[in-house]
Amino acid sequence: MKVSEAVASRRSVRQFRCDPVDPDVLRGVLERAQRSPSGSNVQPWHAVVLTAEPLARLQAAVAEVFPLGRAGHSIPFHMHPVGIDGVYRERLAGVGESLYASLGVTREDKAGRLAQYQRNYRAFDAPVLMLVHTKAYMGHAQWADMGMWLQTVMLLLREAGLDSCPQLSWADYTREVRACVEFPEDHVFYCGLAIGYRDPEAAVNRFPVPRAPLDDVVRWEGF
Amino acid sequence: MNVSEAVTSRRSVRAFLDTPVPLESVRRVLDAARFAPSGCNYQPWEGTVLAGAPLKALQEQLLGARPDVPLEYDFSAPGAVPKYKQRLSRLGAQMYGALTIGREDKDNRDLFSQQNLTSFGAPVLLLAHFPKLMKEAQWSDVGMWLQTIMLLLRGEGLDSCPQEWMGMYGRTIKAHLGLGDDTMLFCGLAIGFRDADHPVNLFERDRVPLDEAVSFHGFDQAQ
Repeated sequence: MKVSEAVASRRSVRQFRCDPVDPDVLRGVLERAQRSPSGSNVQPWHAVVLTAEPLARLQAAVAEVFPLGRAGHSIPFHMHPVGIDGVYRERLAGVGESLYASLGVTREDKAGRLAQYQRNYRAFDAPVLMLVHTKAYMGHAQWADMGMWLQTVMLLLREAGLDSCPQLSWADYTREVRACVEFPEDHVFYCGLAIGYRDPEAAVNRFPVPRAPLDDVVRWEGF
Repeated sequence: MNVSEAVTSRRSVRAFLDTPVPLESVRRVLDAARFAPSGCNYQPWEGTVLAGAPLKALQEQLLGARPDVPLEYDFSAPGAVPKYKQRLSRLGAQMYGALTIGREDKDNRDLFSQQNLTSFGAPVLLLAHFPKLMKEAQWSDVGMWLQTIMLLLRGEGLDSCPQEWMGMYGRTIKAHLGLGDDTMLFCGLAIGFRDADHPVNLFERDRVPLDEAVSFHGFDQAQ
């Protein structure tokens, strides 16, 4: 698959088919993704990949505390910028509106919205979930390196016919993630990546993904 | 070019040809890269693309400038840890080895490092910046965007080099470009065609084996 096709066809898939993921294919993708760049060649990324019973255990652990609402959340340190201005709020609201509209869930339908939100913690039925973590002392630049690696993984997955959904939402349940998955004490948990095959019929996988126009994000000098 | 080829053929190019870069290619790449993912769809990335006289003017300024004190962000946090220090030293050994610059030859090492300021002869420079209030997760998003760009550039037959080095001159660059103090200058991305015969573009680059970065759980049961 051409790079441009992989970039354009990648989307955050929120309904997966139950078809299993071939572990050799997944391993091949992750092997190749090791070639991703990082400042000083630090390669700060770490991940735990779950399927079957270990994945079910994590999902059950989160399901148990989910009814507590925010009271059940861990407080993720890395997710939410403070004092962010209008344009970013609009971008967030925009994708939310498109998503819920595709499902026919109205703004007033709080229960419907909550039910859809809770599907995050089933990884949208993906058969595989990768949990990304790194050393706590990593600086901002190494977080950018992790992003480069994650996008490399997502694009290579497209080439393998697979889909994904990067999920910051798991960070709200860092406590449960840590209880189910062993990663070293001095590591911090970043996000999940749901991996599987998209259900191409699902409306939630079909709404147009809104993005800012190019000239809002890039300026040109000297061409 | 397919995704795997783009991932494996991408390298940090440190000697560019002076062949001009078609504006349409860069525009096409940056337009497609808008579809990189970001948490909450914030799309936190911003870029300034320089070529020709404006690029020359910035480079002249940089050559006469000193790194910021203190730095606006520190990309060397992992350098205190032997494992990561080793990865950097190994990269340095391979790179300077290819250039036949000895370990003791500090003058020539510095001279080569300084070429960062002129982006190793690349005719185009993308500077990546964003509001300072962005947190770790958004730095990661910017990383996803940058890697999307690097891979799409491969698809156009172009090469790149991500340059955190530019981050050391954040204040100089921001003042030159008229960017406010609430902006974080993360890095440069040198863009051009690689000099395929130059030894600095030919040395082998190390990556850790997959099992040092990723562990797999539950896959025996799934089969």
